[in-house]
Amino acid sequence: MLQYKNVLTTCPYCGAGCNYYLQVFDNQIVGVLPSKTHPVSQGKLCIKGWNAGDFVNHADRLTKPLMKKDGKFVEISWDEALKTVAGKLTEYKEKFGPDSLATLSSAKCTNEENFLMMKFARAVLGTNNVDHCARLCHASTVVGLVQSFGSGAMTNSIVELEDADCIFIIGSNTLEQHPLVGRYIQRAKEKGAKIIVADPRIITLVQIADYHLRHRPGTDVALFNGMMNVIISEGLEDKQFIKERTEGIEDLTETVKKYTPEYVAKITGVPAELIVEAARTYAKAERAAIVYSMGITQHTTGVDNVKSSGNLAMLTGNVGKASTGVNPLRGQNNVQGACDMGALPNVYSGYQNVTDEKARAKFEEAWKTKLPDKVGLTIIEMMDNAVKGNLKAMYIMGENPMVSDPDINHVKEALENLEFLVVQDIFLTETAQLADIVLPATTYAEKDGTFTSTERLVQLIRTAIEPIGESRPDWKIISDLAKLMGSIDFKYNSPSEIMDEIAALTPSYHGISNARLEEGGLAWPCPTSEHPGTPFLHKEKFTRPNGKGQLFGIEFKEAAELPDKEYPFLLTTGRVTFHFHTGTMTRRTALLDREVPTGFVEINPADAEKLGIRDEELVSVQSRRGKIEIKAMVTDRIPENIVFIPFHFAECAANLLTNSAYDPVAKIPEFKVCAVKVEKIK
Amino acid sequence: MKGGKIDQVSNNGFEPKIVGFLCNWCSYAGADLAGTARLKYPANLRVIRVMCSGRVSPEFVVKALRAGADGVMVLGCHIGDCHYQAGNHRAAKRIAILRRLLNYMGIDPRRVRLEWVSASEAQRFTKIVKEFTDDMKALGPNPMKKVKV
Amino acid sequence: MIGKVRELAKEWLTTKKVDAIFGLRKQNNDVAPYLFTDVKELKDLVLSIDNRICFTVRPSKQNIVHLIQKNSPDMKIGIIARGCDERALIELAKRFQIDLEKIEILGVACTNKDAEECLCPIPYPKTIIIGEKAEGVSLDKIKNVESLLGKTLEEKAAFWKEQLSKCIKCYGCRNVCPMCICKECKLEEDLWVKSGELPPDFPMYHFIRFYHMADRCIECGQCEKACPAGIPLLTISKLVRKDVKELFDYEAGKDVEQESPLVTTLDETPLKEEAKDVAV
Repeated sequence: MLQYKNVLTTCPYCGAGCNYYLQVFDNQIVGVLPSKTHPVSQGKLCIKGWNAGDFVNHADRLTKPLMKKDGKFVEISWDEALKTVAGKLTEYKEKFGPDSLATLSSAKCTNEENFLMMKFARAVLGTNNVDHCARLCHASTVVGLVQSFGSGAMTNSIVELEDADCIFIIGSNTLEQHPLVGRYIQRAKEKGAKIIVADPRIITLVQIADYHLRHRPGTDVALFNGMMNVIISEGLEDKQFIKERTEGIEDLTETVKKYTPEYVAKITGVPAELIVEAARTYAKAERAAIVYSMGITQHTTGVDNVKSSGNLAMLTGNVGKASTGVNPLRGQNNVQGACDMGALPNVYSGYQNVTDEKARAKFEEAWKTKLPDKVGLTIIEMMDNAVKGNLKAMYIMGENPMVSDPDINHVKEALENLEFLVVQDIFLTETAQLADIVLPATTYAEKDGTFTSTERLVQLIRTAIEPIGESRPDWKIISDLAKLMGSIDFKYNSPSEIMDEIAALTPSYHGISNARLEEGGLAWPCPTSEHPGTPFLHKEKFTRPNGKGQLFGIEFKEAAELPDKEYPFLLTTGRVTFHFHTGTMTRRTALLDREVPTGFVEINPADAEKLGIRDEELVSVQSRRGKIEIKAMVTDRIPENIVFIPFHFAECAANLLTNSAYDPVAKIPEFKVCAVKVEKIK
Repeated sequence: MKGGKIDQVSNNGFEPKIVGFLCNWCSYAGADLAGTARLKYPANLRVIRVMCSGRVSPEFVVKALRAGADGVMVLGCHIGDCHYQAGNHRAAKRIAILRRLLNYMGIDPRRVRLEWVSASEAQRFTKIVKEFTDDMKALGPNPMKKVKV
Repeated sequence: MIGKVRELAKEWLTTKKVDAIFGLRKQNNDVAPYLFTDVKELKDLVLSIDNRICFTVRPSKQNIVHLIQKNSPDMKIGIIARGCDERALIELAKRFQIDLEKIEILGVACTNKDAEECLCPIPYPKTIIIGEKAEGVSLDKIKNVESLLGKTLEEKAAFWKEQLSKCIKCYGCRNVCPMCICKECKLEEDLWVKSGELPPDFPMYHFIRFYHMADRCIECGQCEKACPAGIPLLTISKLVRKDVKELFDYEAGKDVEQESPLVTTLDETPLKEEAKDVAV
């Protein structure tokens, strides 16, 4: 008898959280069927979603544990692999102390797995050295919005965008990176909303924009301040909202005084009258929403940028009601969840501080062990410490810093300097190639669990097919390792049991259980088992301790590295719609690989002419940190003196060039601005 | 078949670009004969020899229009004379649907013309090319041409 | 009505008229196709106008009914089919994708409301087993069609340029189309549609979709419903279907014996003389 089933699951790509069925025929994924009742996807998907079943069965999947012997990988048994890893980690912990170890958790893995990874680091290894790629995308959001509002997540839900009267999109290529979110911006436009896009490039969304502010990368604070200067000087601010719900208006007013449109025009390159019109349009709208993404977060001033977006929203009373708010779009399917789960060096799940004795005591009691009290290392600090030799071993789950992190040469030096590296992944990534032991994990299609989307919606993923080869779900691997290392805990029979533990220890997830999720997603905070979830935050009061939103006076600061005589171009990085991050999955998906098979550098025709570069010609791009050869794409999409490279492609990796200078608070690197030179290859 | 009626207006010396897909067995030979016979016809036509009018898929026509042609002619053998029996039957049906579809998409169907020209019809060939060229002159430049940046 | 469908499905299964019933099932607060073999499961059998069972699936590019038949060629399948489902099955059989001999159609008629929601011209299968024949929505009652036909050429071009510029190239219209069955797709050939370009260059991508569907579109409307950008794709598909009827007296999905006019000669399916020219 044939076996045919449709398994409802959540997309493993961006943070929009679309749901679809994997169509399974005799344990083979044969297709994808969108779910028509899902609040966001509503029977539609983007190209990545439609093809998200393709990579699962790819021939490159890791099917057996690997051990490096004499520079070559050989297959070994699970038993040997797990014993070796447990043995080595125990050895280094005893010899050099727990802080000689570090783990990287994964925004691609489930909440349950991220929870276990942070529990493993803290309760088994005894270190707070746990981090994940949120450091590289929205660390500044987590920090910034907590300071402004008290909660570091998207304030409103995706579908609400449709009913906004004005949407201000800054640093988000929404139609390409979050296509199903972009759809609601398109719909808002059709209902008459004004669309303001602030982006140096002519992104696809510009087609429907009423105003396009092409500001120089790294000048976001100035742009925000300029808009607020106009709003305050024309009396367009929401005085009642400011008085009743915020504090710090004096500081803000004082600071933005000098940021007149003319002054800001000089800094940003955006004509003064455009700044004035955009500010008026945003301020006068009944419901105005801000949408942002990595375009403002990945800067040395990332936190300042994020707080500035909070400033603008609160100044005009656009928080705490439907179709408004500050809406950071999270890049990964579960980057929100990985943060919520505490896969960060300073917090447990639900953003409970490791330095808070009460919180620590709670987790110590639950896990029946002593926990470290010192804040751990962030990704960037881990790499620095590995180079210095302070970090001896790393356990990396589902991350590929050899493509995703800034200054890859530095990352390579760091990882090679480790005495022991374990990588757990679905493919032999650029990072896995450097490992001593590689553990084969399953994809989202071969396991149960939950992902939390960018709108804080916790949703199930469900097992569609049996694990490929000998691969195992990450939660099982972590649990087995923990037990081998002597933990009496980690006795989970299913991810659902892990979710119960998460709910018990995490106030915002308290009312969530798999039984409830079977009926559909729940947006946190969901404090009780009857609570319906929270589509938009900060309705009556902000989640900061005193209930008020904090306005900040923020001065503009230039990026860490600006173009100069030797490196005359400003390089900014980003993505294309057909690929996802380091391309591990999308480059192994036939249709997506066909669309964009390799990287390119966008350069303005005027610049190309000066350098004698033709379209599609191979050129060299060099920064102080590295050099790549890459195909030129001569296009008006990019302004003069700026070049753009998508970072998906290891063979011409943008991140060999990028600067690892980081935001002092969020420690997010400045992927969006560095100085390069572009040369013709002779 | 004939195109829709076009008002003859002078168009400031506009010289349209015309792409002609000509069947190897008939109209291409007809064009050849016109040349040998020193018959005059407008130089606006760019000829692409195809093995049969049935080889011309509608994508060819649309691509030509997008790539810069002001008009596209598909010339095949008279019905009954197809070297492959029924290639021209297919062409007739496809072009009929194509012209209607173009109209819905806002592309003037008069820019596409299908005619039968045999190997011996040099006169007919020149007449059709001249007529179509005049029609395109009257229609003016094709607005769906991709403008090179 | 659903009670009756379940009853009949049960009867077909218990009397061994069929080995399995292919229909829609309630699942996770949603609806998905399911192959029922156990009468106890029939309580979850549902009808839904939003969901269809005849989707082509990607990446295998094969229809699910095709896959079932390939896997179990002797299985007799009862398929719960609305008008559009049945038209899809007929076209698929005509193109050698499925074997109608082994299929028993449990025809369900749509209600007037369903028909209006889908703008469906023939909201019932050829043999209605359950439900009553509702009136189809004729072309002249469709707002989008009327509005398009009222436009000049320039206005039409401007309209489609704007609409199609919203395209995010998800290929959703193709993926959900029950009639998109080619193994090699022109949309995936650089010669026609430049890879990596967003939005795809006007008008080729969508032209290919429209033209290739000319003799096979069964007006299920799934393409339009799957479009994230809300492009009114069905408007043109409906008009082209009307044209094919005018030109060749041919309707896709009507009769499995009737070959597509695009593969026959003029002698077999003549081109109607009076319909040859286009009024501009």
